[in-house]
Amino acid sequence: MDVTTERQEGVLTAQVGGRIDGSNVAQFEEAIRTAIDESDRAVLIDCENLGYISSAGLRAVLMTAKSLSSRNAKFALCSMSDPIREVFQISGFDKIVAIHPSKAEALASLGS
Amino acid sequence: MLRFSEEVMLLLLNDSGGKFVDVPAPSLDCALAGAVLMDLAMENRIDTDPERLFVVDPAPLEDDLLDPTLKRIVDSAETHDTAHWIRDTTAHADEIHDRSLARLVERGILRREDDRFMWVFHTRRYPVIDNRTVREVKLRLMGVLFSDEIPDSRDILLISLSDVCGIFGSLLSTAELDSAAERIGQVRKLDLMGREVAKAVREIETSLAAAIAMPMH
Repeated sequence: MDVTTERQEGVLTAQVGGRIDGSNVAQFEEAIRTAIDESDRAVLIDCENLGYISSAGLRAVLMTAKSLSSRNAKFALCSMSDPIREVFQISGFDKIVAIHPSKAEALASLGS
Repeated sequence: MLRFSEEVMLLLLNDSGGKFVDVPAPSLDCALAGAVLMDLAMENRIDTDPERLFVVDPAPLEDDLLDPTLKRIVDSAETHDTAHWIRDTTAHADEIHDRSLARLVERGILRREDDRFMWVFHTRRYPVIDNRTVREVKLRLMGVLFSDEIPDSRDILLISLSDVCGIFGSLLSTAELDSAAERIGQVRKLDLMGREVAKAVREIETSLAAAIAMPMH
């Protein structure tokens, strides 16, 4: 699992690659937590290179969304492959978190 | 911190008298099995996806509620899905039930009272000593059900377990249940393991119904 980040007009984009499961979920949480700045008004997780996510990974994504929601920052996900999108849809995340087909659409929605 | 199976037992307790709300035994067995698997997941000993449940860390937790199940999963020669391990663990539901109650007594939350009815029938009750803990668990659930906030992982799992064994019917009025139904449906989907526990209960109920409907020869 690897996380690379970039910031544009107060929107932090974290590109996540590889697998997120119980063996590395703590590193994922730590990477996202340390990357988020207090001044960020939105966080986007770009899943284009995400190959696998387990229950533990889904919980970590949800807790990131919860943490941002508590300080009125926006949160979105984008660019999922079909199998990854299916896992998020099964879990009903699409009813709670904005999921966009592409990074460009996500950034436009987040007002970047 | 209480384990999920202890919280389920507290939620099943009637407010007065130390007796438990009647729920279907297969549903309670599945909920207690699911509770143990959920605690193992929260302790990062196991993880799941829609196809399988797998070990992340085989180290025992020194917890007699969780370690026997963890050991069976670790010792298994094959990888199975979550439904398999729920069915496997329901065979130990009585032990989980009794151990959870014994712990609540050890923690000073409940008191065990043995009695005889009509001098013959043995009865057992668990009156509440520490009502604050019971109230906190119930308030946590209500807080999630009647708000739009993203719930905490533990609360999502507790709502799944409560729904599986029909606890909400005794905690909420009919009107409250009606207004919370959509939220319960939304929250219980949020964790794959919660969904698998609910699925296992439905499968068991279907097989029981089929067995009852089978003509006798």
